[in-house]
Amino acid sequence: MPSENQSGMQCVECEGLLAEAIDGALHGSTLAAFEAHQQSCPACRTMVEEATAGLHWLEGLDEVEPPRHLVHNILAQTIGALPSEHAVVSPRGEGWLDKVKGRLAPIFAPVATPRFAMSFGMAFFSITLLLSIAGLHISDLRRLDLSSKGIARTYSSTQARVIRYYDNLRLVYEIESRVRDLRRVAAPEKQQPEEPAPKTQPKSDNRQDQDKNRTNQNYSRDASQPELAVSPAGNEPGMKNLTNQARLNRRTA
Amino acid sequence: MDDIQAVNALIRRCVTGDAAAWQEIVQQYHRRIYNICYRFSGSPEDAADLSQEVFIKMYRTLSTFDTTRASFMTWVTTVTRNLLVDHFRKGKYDRITDSLEATPGNQDDGLTLAEKLEDPSAGPEAGVRSQEAQTLVHKALRKLSPELREAVILRDLQDMDYKDIALVLKVPEGTVKSRINRGRTELARLLQRSYRQVS
Repeated sequence: MPSENQSGMQCVECEGLLAEAIDGALHGSTLAAFEAHQQSCPACRTMVEEATAGLHWLEGLDEVEPPRHLVHNILAQTIGALPSEHAVVSPRGEGWLDKVKGRLAPIFAPVATPRFAMSFGMAFFSITLLLSIAGLHISDLRRLDLSSKGIARTYSSTQARVIRYYDNLRLVYEIESRVRDLRRVAAPEKQQPEEPAPKTQPKSDNRQDQDKNRTNQNYSRDASQPELAVSPAGNEPGMKNLTNQARLNRRTA
Repeated sequence: MDDIQAVNALIRRCVTGDAAAWQEIVQQYHRRIYNICYRFSGSPEDAADLSQEVFIKMYRTLSTFDTTRASFMTWVTTVTRNLLVDHFRKGKYDRITDSLEATPGNQDDGLTLAEKLEDPSAGPEAGVRSQEAQTLVHKALRKLSPELREAVILRDLQDMDYKDIALVLKVPEGTVKSRINRGRTELARLLQRSYRQVS
């Protein structure tokens, strides 16, 4: 490619004038030299043709329409306000409240969005629901005992309530029962060698011990010790008479 | 001149906390900013997100606008361009690498690429009027390098003069013209190559 031809213009100069030439901004001798160079330089002629074609392609692109919610979103994220059809120009002499609002608006703009409000609402609803399920009410807060004993008492009562609720579930009870039956069926040979339950409980005058034993019998019952749940002595008629007689004596005393 | 004074008054009102003035600015410039973002990123969703980010940035930095240095339009375009470049550097909006020829084949409307792209007898202007051809040109634009793409977008789609483009891109005017020429040439070559391969 010749860098300079009969027109006296170099290819570098031609390239530098290309933008103005396409814009139609070249006049006089410069335009004549540019056109003459094109006639004698195929490379520059191709370059001009391609650049002109590229410009036509680009000029044919239409302006795209922005989404309808774009302005709304922009205003919500900047000033946290909804757009109005007729913008009301506020007077220059604004009150102190408006000035404070104007200063605070950009600070709270990121959180003053519908998405944040929705998230906050859902979180509040979830926490309220959890507190309600746990048995806590806003009105109870006034009587709330924040001492260490009070907190321990609240913890214990809540734990007992949860355990009681869990144990009272029919489903849990049935599952436990089935598991117990399955264990009993699966390992009957293990139960046979065990010693049978004593026919009579050792008598004790201490009522607390009796109660404790009864309690332990009730709560320590499992599949391996089914017979401990019922005292055989309780079914004997002689024993019943003795018990009734003891009650009568206590009442008369 | 009156327009410049009106815009400057609008900006002063906005800086003092006038929400209505800000709303007016958003109404006036959102279309332009969205179009720049759309042609640069290529995606309407990305363009909407980027436009919102541009306005948030403008809202925070509006007080730094110097009326003596450049027009508000140039400042707005500079903010937009800087944000686009930042996102491009993060790799979010890279050049597309899919084939330009693959797109028309996916649209089963019975037209060949040559028919969609241009009618050789009518020239490129007639061809680009169709929606499909616009899509092809838009995709070809995304295949340009970011430097060439931003130059042709500002010149040929936003009708900015070379001096303002040089201010926005922070390069000499000669570099702006060179990038515009190369961008137009490369775009034409991309589209013509696709046309030749199919026809």
